[in-house]
Amino acid sequence: MSLNDTLKNLRENGIDEAKRAQRLQELNDLRVNLLGKKGPITKALRGMKDVPAEQRPEIGTLANNVKKDIQAAIEEKMSELNQKLVAKKLEEETIDVTLPATKQTQGTKHILNQTIEDIEQFFIGLGYEVAGGYEVEEDHYNFERLNIPKDHPARDMQDTFYLSDELLMRTQTSAQEGRDMEAHDFTKGPLKMISPGVVYRRDDDDATHSHQFHQIEGLVVDKNISMADLKGTLDALCRHVFGPDREIRFRPSYFPFTEPSVEVDVSCFNCGGEGCRICKYTGWIEVLGAGLTHPNVLKMSGIDPNEYSGMAFGLGPERFAMLKYGINDIRDFYLNDVRFLEQFKGVN
Amino acid sequence: MKISVNWLKEYIPVDHTVEEMANKISLTGIESGPVKLGEELTNLVVGHITSIKSHPDSDHLKVCQVDVGESEDIQIVCGAPNVAVDQYVIVALHGAHLPNGVRIKRGKLRGQESNGMICGLDEVGVPAKYMPEEFENGIYVFDQPQKPGVEVYDLLGLKEQMIDIDITPNRADTLGMHGAAWEIGATYNEKPTFKKPELDDSKVKDLTDIDVTVDAKDLVPDYLVRELKDIKVTKSPLWMQRRLWNQNIRPVNSVVDATNYVMIEYGQPVQAYDLDKLNQSLTVKLANAGDKLNLADDVEKTLTANDLVVTSGDKILGLAGIINGPEATVDENTKNVVLEAGVFDGASVRKTAQRHDLRDDASNRFEKGVDNGIVEEALTRATQLVDQISPAQEISQTIVGNFTKAEPTVIKGSIDHINHLMGLDLSADEIVGIFDRLGFTSELNGDAVTVTIPTRRWDMGIEADLVEEVNRIYGYENLPNTLPAGMETRGGYSAKRELSNKLRDILLGEGMDEVINFSLLSKQEVADFNVNQTEYTKLLHPMTEDHEYLRNSLIPGLVRNVAYNQARKNNDLSIFEQARVFARPTGQDRPNEIPYISGAISGNVVEDSWNTEPKQVDFYYVKGIVEELLSFTNADADFTFVATDEYTNMHPGQTAKILANDQVVGFIGKLHPDYQKKHSITDTFVFELNINALFGLNTKSVKAQSAPKYPAITRDLAILVNKDIQNSQIINDIFVNGGKYLQDVNIFDVYEGKNIKQDHKSLGYHLVFLNPNDTLTDEEVEKAFSLVKDSLVQKFNVEIR
Ligand SMILES: [Zn+2]
Repeated sequence: MSLNDTLKNLRENGIDEAKRAQRLQELNDLRVNLLGKKGPITKALRGMKDVPAEQRPEIGTLANNVKKDIQAAIEEKMSELNQKLVAKKLEEETIDVTLPATKQTQGTKHILNQTIEDIEQFFIGLGYEVAGGYEVEEDHYNFERLNIPKDHPARDMQDTFYLSDELLMRTQTSAQEGRDMEAHDFTKGPLKMISPGVVYRRDDDDATHSHQFHQIEGLVVDKNISMADLKGTLDALCRHVFGPDREIRFRPSYFPFTEPSVEVDVSCFNCGGEGCRICKYTGWIEVLGAGLTHPNVLKMSGIDPNEYSGMAFGLGPERFAMLKYGINDIRDFYLNDVRFLEQFKGVN
Repeated sequence: MKISVNWLKEYIPVDHTVEEMANKISLTGIESGPVKLGEELTNLVVGHITSIKSHPDSDHLKVCQVDVGESEDIQIVCGAPNVAVDQYVIVALHGAHLPNGVRIKRGKLRGQESNGMICGLDEVGVPAKYMPEEFENGIYVFDQPQKPGVEVYDLLGLKEQMIDIDITPNRADTLGMHGAAWEIGATYNEKPTFKKPELDDSKVKDLTDIDVTVDAKDLVPDYLVRELKDIKVTKSPLWMQRRLWNQNIRPVNSVVDATNYVMIEYGQPVQAYDLDKLNQSLTVKLANAGDKLNLADDVEKTLTANDLVVTSGDKILGLAGIINGPEATVDENTKNVVLEAGVFDGASVRKTAQRHDLRDDASNRFEKGVDNGIVEEALTRATQLVDQISPAQEISQTIVGNFTKAEPTVIKGSIDHINHLMGLDLSADEIVGIFDRLGFTSELNGDAVTVTIPTRRWDMGIEADLVEEVNRIYGYENLPNTLPAGMETRGGYSAKRELSNKLRDILLGEGMDEVINFSLLSKQEVADFNVNQTEYTKLLHPMTEDHEYLRNSLIPGLVRNVAYNQARKNNDLSIFEQARVFARPTGQDRPNEIPYISGAISGNVVEDSWNTEPKQVDFYYVKGIVEELLSFTNADADFTFVATDEYTNMHPGQTAKILANDQVVGFIGKLHPDYQKKHSITDTFVFELNINALFGLNTKSVKAQSAPKYPAITRDLAILVNKDIQNSQIINDIFVNGGKYLQDVNIFDVYEGKNIKQDHKSLGYHLVFLNPNDTLTDEEVEKAFSLVKDSLVQKFNVEIR
């Protein structure tokens, strides 16, 4: 057999063997056996000396091509086997993604605090400072400074837990007003404050009453504060809390520490004003009380009501949350059943 | 109070539905709702009973022939004991609708045909307690002949349309029809007109049967009476009766009804006495403590020296402005009466009425105030009404016990300032026009306006009141929405609140749910965790024993939550609260309010799941949370945990005080098993931290350093040591001797028990050495490591393993 034919045979057999290989090892062995220094191609080329000189370049080229072709066949097969292996591995690693997760729990902020902080953030954005105040307060700040002297009938509207003749559990966060106004330096600009916190009333606990609940008091004192400012501020607040399509309305009311005083209704977010059970078929829901700071309250804090005016408002986070999330029993806030608490994960 | 539209029409034109009116009145003045009585009623007519036969098969039923205005009488079977021939009665015809869904149909009663029902007042919607007593157990009978077949609704006020106004305490001026007419009139721009009451001058005489004295003049600015002689007390006319029962007032007799009628008309309570039951005198004074007042139904009240009473001789007739006993009641036998109209101090009336639990229509009016300007007119009106129904032979002049001339209030304001406060720009004419609608007179002088307020609006006193009147009548719906336009301000939280918020966020991130508990605890609860040994703070008048003391720790509240949840099978709990505790130093009345953050964890912290083994909470889990919290305080402080057995309700072997630079800032540990048992809860770990104390620490100033470029070298150390030696002692000693390149010491193993010497434990530590500036040599590390080992052997007698 001519050298030429030998090489061609080797090529045919080599490619054939590569194609038949089942494992990577076989291919590695094949490469070493066929293409190595001790392989049949190398061996065959030793017969080159018997080939006439003019044919040698041709044979040389052939030998190189044979090597290349076998090499290519081996690599092709290797890549094929590799792909199969990877596919097999991936298949083996396939899991049931519908099995439950390994739990990564964040806690849930109490829904009242979520409600309060949402409102705080709204007012912080408008340049209000957030104040704290005292829960044990003097009669002086809780009542007298709010234009509610000892015999005032308004003291009936809120039965009070007293600690002594002069000390009590504050019944309203408005108790903070006097302290805020005293402490403020009006040469540095207006007073803009909200005071969130806990207040206390001598009420029996039931579905709509709690002896402890929260309030947020707001107070702005500056030159030229008007009812229109109050309405614009509360309108923006109610849209922030209850949705951009809401409207508010003022109804005359009475609080000893504001004059004029108003109740603020928001258009029903459930029915949009058509009338439903939530708004008692009026289209409106009462959400807070407000007014212009009574001149006596300003005077008692050493502020001249002819030069300055103030606006004040007080709202109840419990009421806001109950309305917004359809909570029917105020006691749920304080029982702290975690199933109740956790349903409000991330609502605000 | 309910404002009857028919009554209102005597003063102003009304041409809106009650729904529209109630809505408009709510938006401009006083919260109101529409009331429509008897909407369901149909087929109720006047019947005239022409004959009555007894029922053949019943002792109590009667067979009546009744003229109902049709061509023939109809037969109705009636069981009322008071039914009689020739009565004019209410007949519910076949098909009639009555309240509560009752329907009348013709049928047979014990075999006798019955074509309707003869009704009592309560059967057609007048509440039994407000209808005249005589008809309580039977049918209603008209006093006067009526036309048979005529509908009864208007005669009896059964379909009255009303506006129910729910006043705020400052608007008691609308607790009378006149005041309400002014308010509603201003809303609709209609001026009301009222008739002045007049007496028959020929009857008015100087009578002096009675001496009137007011002792407590400061509490009784007005006290006026009139006598009416030789009257005959009768029933009052139907028009008056129906108005009264629609005001929830029971008609009694001509005199009592007239006084009640005037109270509704003017808002001024009027009282009537039987002159012959008085000892020729009426005196208003403060009671002597211990005096007794007998009221109807054998109720006896023991009075105090602050109670204002009306007396006659030594008889106490009643509490002034609140209630009278039966002593001098006007009844059908009364011949001579005394009518009294007074003004009694609101605060005094309020306290007395509260003290004796006797608040009613009259006391409510005095508490909130009455118009001092119409006392005499109201008395004249009552006198006129009595004389009209039960004519008197003689009437006295007004007898004065005390009289204070009522002066109108004058308020000076500025048009410009009023506009400023509203945020509007109304003309002076517009503003003055609104005052005029309200019946205020005003005088303009440039920007200055002087407004004279009639006495009926005693709530008005200052310019701000004018602002409210103008703004509400102009309409709040017409106000623009603006924001305060002053100097820019920077909003935000206080630094302490920022810290609290940060700490809360950490705990939320650690998977803890936030709770909010009550600040008021039971006596037991404040005793349970008085770890700071402060005084208790107690309410003067608690509502329940559960809420009697101000909390001195958040832990009792958390324990309530754990118990509540575990009772509902929520066993894996991780909760925290950030709130104030009240710590009262000895000798101080007012407790200090200290913000704390506290947590409680029970059950599993890793759940039992298909791919995880359950892991119960333990001390070290909670300690990890606390350390994370402390690291986020950014405090430049040395935090340490020191074992303590001082706290009664904590496990004595699993509790530690938390110290910052040797000052206690809180504690952590397991609840005492006995305490857990008492509260029916499983193993629970708690912690509390004083936020004020953390806030007071110096903050770290962080200077950035590059991460080290040289590798660290570690050495492992295994020792056998006596069980009582604490990890912190070992670690401290390692650091003391480890040299300047000792970076970190971590404990990786704690073991006691099998194969370990009695009362000993085996501890394993990784020591990490690092020189940030150069490569460490083994010799340097070995040298330091030997020093560490030598010291441990020497100090703690450890065996190096
Ligand atoms: Zn609605």
